[in-house]
Amino acid sequence: MTARLTRRGLMQSAAALAAASALPGAARAQSGPLSIWTIGVAKVGAAPGTGGKDWSDMAAEAGIEIAYNAKSGSADQAIQKMIVGDGDRLYDALTDNGGGMEDALASQGAIVPIDTSRIENWSRLLPLYDEGATAYDTIRHEGDVVAVPYLSNADSLAFNHSVIGEELTSWEALFDEQFRGRAAMQNDFGPTLTNTAIYLKQSGRQDIENPSDMTPEEVKGVAEFLIELKKKGHFRTFWDGFQNGVDLLASEEVLVSSCWEPVQIVAMNKAEKDIRYGTMQEGHQTWNNIWMLTKGGVARGQEDAFYKLMNLYLSPWFGARTLLTFGFGPQMIGIEDEIADNPDFTPEQKATITNRIERKRERYAVEGNSWQNVFPTHLRAYQDWWARVQGA
Amino acid sequence: MQDASAETERGAARPRAAAGGPPPGGGAGFGPVPPLPEPASPALARLGARAAAAAFYLPPLFMALFFLVPSLMTVVWSFWERTMFWMEPAFTLFSYENFFLSARFGNFLSSIGHSSIAVVICFVIGFPIAVFVRRRIPEVAQHRVMLLFILPFMVSEIVRTFMLRPVLGRNGLVNETLLGLGVISEPITSILFTPTGVVIGEVLSFLPFMVFCGFLAMEAAPKHVFEVCADIGAPRWRVFKDVILPLAAPGVFAGAVFILVNGLGVALIPNTLGGPGAVNAGLIATQAIIALDFPLAMAVSAIMTLTLIGLLAIGHRLFDLASILEPFK
Repeated sequence: MTARLTRRGLMQSAAALAAASALPGAARAQSGPLSIWTIGVAKVGAAPGTGGKDWSDMAAEAGIEIAYNAKSGSADQAIQKMIVGDGDRLYDALTDNGGGMEDALASQGAIVPIDTSRIENWSRLLPLYDEGATAYDTIRHEGDVVAVPYLSNADSLAFNHSVIGEELTSWEALFDEQFRGRAAMQNDFGPTLTNTAIYLKQSGRQDIENPSDMTPEEVKGVAEFLIELKKKGHFRTFWDGFQNGVDLLASEEVLVSSCWEPVQIVAMNKAEKDIRYGTMQEGHQTWNNIWMLTKGGVARGQEDAFYKLMNLYLSPWFGARTLLTFGFGPQMIGIEDEIADNPDFTPEQKATITNRIERKRERYAVEGNSWQNVFPTHLRAYQDWWARVQGA
Repeated sequence: MQDASAETERGAARPRAAAGGPPPGGGAGFGPVPPLPEPASPALARLGARAAAAAFYLPPLFMALFFLVPSLMTVVWSFWERTMFWMEPAFTLFSYENFFLSARFGNFLSSIGHSSIAVVICFVIGFPIAVFVRRRIPEVAQHRVMLLFILPFMVSEIVRTFMLRPVLGRNGLVNETLLGLGVISEPITSILFTPTGVVIGEVLSFLPFMVFCGFLAMEAAPKHVFEVCADIGAPRWRVFKDVILPLAAPGVFAGAVFILVNGLGVALIPNTLGGPGAVNAGLIATQAIIALDFPLAMAVSAIMTLTLIGLLAIGHRLFDLASILEPFK
């Protein structure tokens, strides 16, 4: 991978030089700040390991002006704002979950296709997005690239190694009676039903064709499995919200929890305990978050600024920092080269980055992984059965 | 009265220069009396009268615009058909079927049960506070004391609710204290992430509703009634049961409705303190919205609104809720 990276890096640098000299448009003044609608963790600070107090570091690195608008992570907000509301008038670019939202917004004409030739770092994009690869569809609509991925992950199990004393490598642990009353899952039917389905499928306990797009019968089987456990008092709670998830682990209210990696990182640092994020042999729900350019953004002449920002998001500068700060998976190759001789990163930070890259590779390599599906075919079955899990 | 005369003296002692010269009408030293306004023309007077009359229609207009119209739209939308991203006009009862014939209705009833327990606890704690403030605190200080109960509302509800976690949790203050005192040998885990946690959260969040409403209702109770009770030597319990409670019933009922409706609607508390999957109507609606099932969310909202209206209708029939405003008439 390193050799490939070097070749790509050289070619990319040459292409960048050629593009810079050939395109007078690249020097064109921005017509106004790029109005972005995104989540807080989409930014990093210039100092490695920091989230940045505002968007100034990101703007400076991209060479543009940014007007930030806060957004939640739930799909309904973007749908309402961009399809029914006035989002197109307000925002030039926005982020949301890949694997559904790009299709939803593109099919309604809210976002426009991406001209990848205007993003120098596009050549660094992970092979995950190549034709035929698992994440190919998550940034495309009817074959056109309509989104730029900027972070991803394979969600897994966080566990308190200080108390448990062993490495957990199977979802079996989450459902094992030794952790009765000390286990938690996310209060969201998407990741919770999908991760449980992955476990049930790979352990041979239930026939499931596609854990990310289950039939109503399959959803029923997964939900009934959770209901049975819940009735036995297995789950301490279903967590909702970042701080909630952190607190559960840090306070040792639970010892095992299916959660986002940043939750584990913050809990580990907060509690100063050996809270780890495992690699599950059955697989993980993999997901990404994507940037999209709105129709209104194009009309307002914000394409140049948008592509400059996207170039930053696909640069190892951003990748190394988001990996270190939040534990999110970078979407480009070349992180190791970025940090190798970079004095901005301490040896400990470099070791952390290298370790996280390695563990991510392990998680992404598991065969049973299943990509997030924002809008499963039988969404109503998911909703209804989740209500039963909650009420059990 | 003493205050008034003291004020008069202070007024009389005020330097003339500061008061703006001698009073034109030979007043008693209160400063200059402003000249009376010129009588308005009949047209202006009529206009003023019309404006004053129109002002009375502003509150109902406001209510119609910001409560009635949204409520009606909510009900109408609840009968529409769900589409992939929004909804389209139709008349279907599917959302109501989806609510009443699924686990959601059971969840809704459970949250009514938890909130009802919170109402009872709030009454047991909050109403005696209201009675105490009304009867034992000097009248001039009563409203100031009541202001103290506003203080918790000045802290963000998220913070207020979340701070219960390190208190009630497995390694929280309560457990650590009881373990330290040797009262228990294992941490109690039945407080947090259970219905008990939800009830505690609701009581701490909504107790001031009962205190305020109880206090307001007690203002309607004439003092001489209590003097008569004292004169005839009525026992305290009989005074409470036969005099205070009936007089304060409208206020108590109003407080109970506030608590119940908030308990059903505020998603934060079951989310933060409840057990796995703890929900209330607010959370059911939120989750429906997240899943882009807008007609279902509208149906839940409509059911909540109808529940509230139904409760108020029952309360008005039983207790004449308008009487709570008696002191202001």
